Amino acid sequence: MRSTIEEQEEECTVFVCEESVDGILTAVYDAWASKLGLMNVSVQAGEYQNRRLFTRYRSVETDHEKAASVASTIRRRMGMEDYQVLYQAALSGDAHRGEDIFRTIVLGLAVWKRKNITRSLQEPSVLRVFELSRTVGNEAHRYRMFVRFRELENGVMCSEIEPENQVLPLLGDHFSDRFPMVDFMIYDRTHRQCLVHRAQKPWVILMEADIDEELIRRYSEKEQEYARLWKGFVKSIAIQERTNPRCQMNFMPKKFWKYMTEHIQEEAE
Amino acid sequence: MHIQQEMDLYEKLNILTDAAKYDVACTSSGVDRRGDGKHMGNCTAPGICHSFSADGRCISLLKILFTNECIYDCKYCVNRSSNDVVRTSFTPEEVCQLTMEFYRRNFIEGLFLSSGILHSPDYTMELIYQTLFRLREEYHFRGYIHVKAIPGADPLLIEKTGFLADRMSVNLELPTAESLKKLAPNKSRAKILLPMRQVQEKMQENSYDLVRYRQAPRFVPAGQSTQMIIGATPESDFQIISVAEALYKKFSLKRVFYSAFVAVNQDAQLPALPGGPPLLREHRLYQADWLMRYYGFDAGELLNEKHPNFNPLLDPKCDWALAHLELFPVEVSRASLETLLRVPGIGPKSARRIVQARRFGRLDYRSLGKMGVVLKRALYFITCNGRTMYPLRMEEDFILRNLLAAEERVPLEAAGYRQMTLFDDFSEQFGVS
Repeated sequence: MRSTIEEQEEECTVFVCEESVDGILTAVYDAWASKLGLMNVSVQAGEYQNRRLFTRYRSVETDHEKAASVASTIRRRMGMEDYQVLYQAALSGDAHRGEDIFRTIVLGLAVWKRKNITRSLQEPSVLRVFELSRTVGNEAHRYRMFVRFRELENGVMCSEIEPENQVLPLLGDHFSDRFPMVDFMIYDRTHRQCLVHRAQKPWVILMEADIDEELIRRYSEKEQEYARLWKGFVKSIAIQERTNPRCQMNFMPKKFWKYMTEHIQEEAE
Repeated sequence: MHIQQEMDLYEKLNILTDAAKYDVACTSSGVDRRGDGKHMGNCTAPGICHSFSADGRCISLLKILFTNECIYDCKYCVNRSSNDVVRTSFTPEEVCQLTMEFYRRNFIEGLFLSSGILHSPDYTMELIYQTLFRLREEYHFRGYIHVKAIPGADPLLIEKTGFLADRMSVNLELPTAESLKKLAPNKSRAKILLPMRQVQEKMQENSYDLVRYRQAPRFVPAGQSTQMIIGATPESDFQIISVAEALYKKFSLKRVFYSAFVAVNQDAQLPALPGGPPLLREHRLYQADWLMRYYGFDAGELLNEKHPNFNPLLDPKCDWALAHLELFPVEVSRASLETLLRVPGIGPKSARRIVQARRFGRLDYRSLGKMGVVLKRALYFITCNGRTMYPLRMEEDFILRNLLAAEERVPLEAAGYRQMTLFDDFSEQFGVS
């Protein structure tokens, strides 16, 4: 709970929205349009946890047009850099991100009215947005490094991840630019989302995706062989005299190992 | 010598990886190349690591030798001709297949192809060229390729290869010409610098071409690098960083790598290293290397003839700052970016954040910490709005003592210092057993 809100004498209204980026942006739109005074409204992504006293809760229906208009206003008046930071922060799993994002947008559009708000890190809510964005960006980058595709019987390259934040939108461009002719999918088990790319088509994200667990375990013939080659490579590239597991884990925390080919113990072995 | 005709790919890969692992460079940085919408691969300027091996080094590229057969007899090398090890070679086809299939699974960022010298430098370079040609032109691979230019090979071959690769490197092997003569009798400093100069000049020429014709083929767009073995020969740290500085300035290298000497061969000419490879020394050299490349330091500022080696207990920047206390403290809300970069605990990122944030408001210590300034080091060297963080004495001894207490755990090999423990150190004294 934020002191800025608590100290308000007037009743505060919280706009509760879906966890998605569009949900948060819609809530920003509604909170702004409600004309209750920008200090008296706030945004909360996700279910009502810890309800506060003297606070009214309004739930917000996600509206992609409202979201798009907020997004374009941010891009135009606060600039691309700020939009990117806010967007990434919205993808995080943090419970308070709605409010911090809303405060930052208020600063950018109503208080300071200038670009590059997200560089003014002295401001607490801006700093939190910046930190969230950095966390999400870092996690996405980790997955650019550690995603491992395995070839299925039907030729699709399949990968599974368990991220803390919704990183898939940040992976789509990278992998589809890299593998334009490959059919691939990345399944996010935490959020039950699936990034799907078909050869030469734009990538899409399926929400609430249910995956055929049987199908994604049926690897192609070549897969076993290349997994073996890769494991051999990873073993031989290490210099024994320099062994340093701490350093290895610093760069590559163990939570990523679960789906990484070089660390999967095959049943057959 | 032991030669097998038929060997399966798994064994070959293991042998030729094992033989290539002492090459340190595994960076995939320096070139931005978007996908073309049809063929596999792209490159991003910062590079991407894909895994980390048990020694904590990053795996970014498929780092292999084309062959571990070698006509040279360098004393420090596993693959020297006098060693009795299993010898084998890839075929260009095998290298391409492995690269493509590994890349498709997001195992690697590209290929790092090096090689022992098979028959002659020309012959080997030709093989490497053939492999790259196939990979780029038949498989249309657009990922990263780092390749070795082989000293003594035909300049024309090196040039042709350079148009296919992203980065080229020639290993300097040892910091001075005398050491090289002693340990690598078949190589010479002059012969190593020749292709390095050639690549530099060609890159220069290519940059003019690119201005004129945007579509001109690019020659080694990610620049060239080199590496030196540390601790096999008696050079001082000062000599080593001076050589590195000269390479950066005169040969416009992108990176110089330092490789702590690992005693793989027994040889009277080589030092015995009972404590393992000199990893701390290597670490200090890399720290200094960063200071020279990103922080605007000169080699002569960090070390000199009187102090030819780095302090094992303190990183080079703290060491420098302690020796130049007259320049501190600096005021963070006014100091220039260059000055900020010289403060221990402030790096390029946090310095840039400070400069951007202070344009719109006052800074305080809390926000400095949040911006990434390492206050436990920086606090002795900065003021913020005219105040130091705590009341401090600007005395070398005082700061040194505090820095050492706050310093990262000093590795064991920093000699002689050990944390006291109750049981080992005091048991006799107190009669506890």
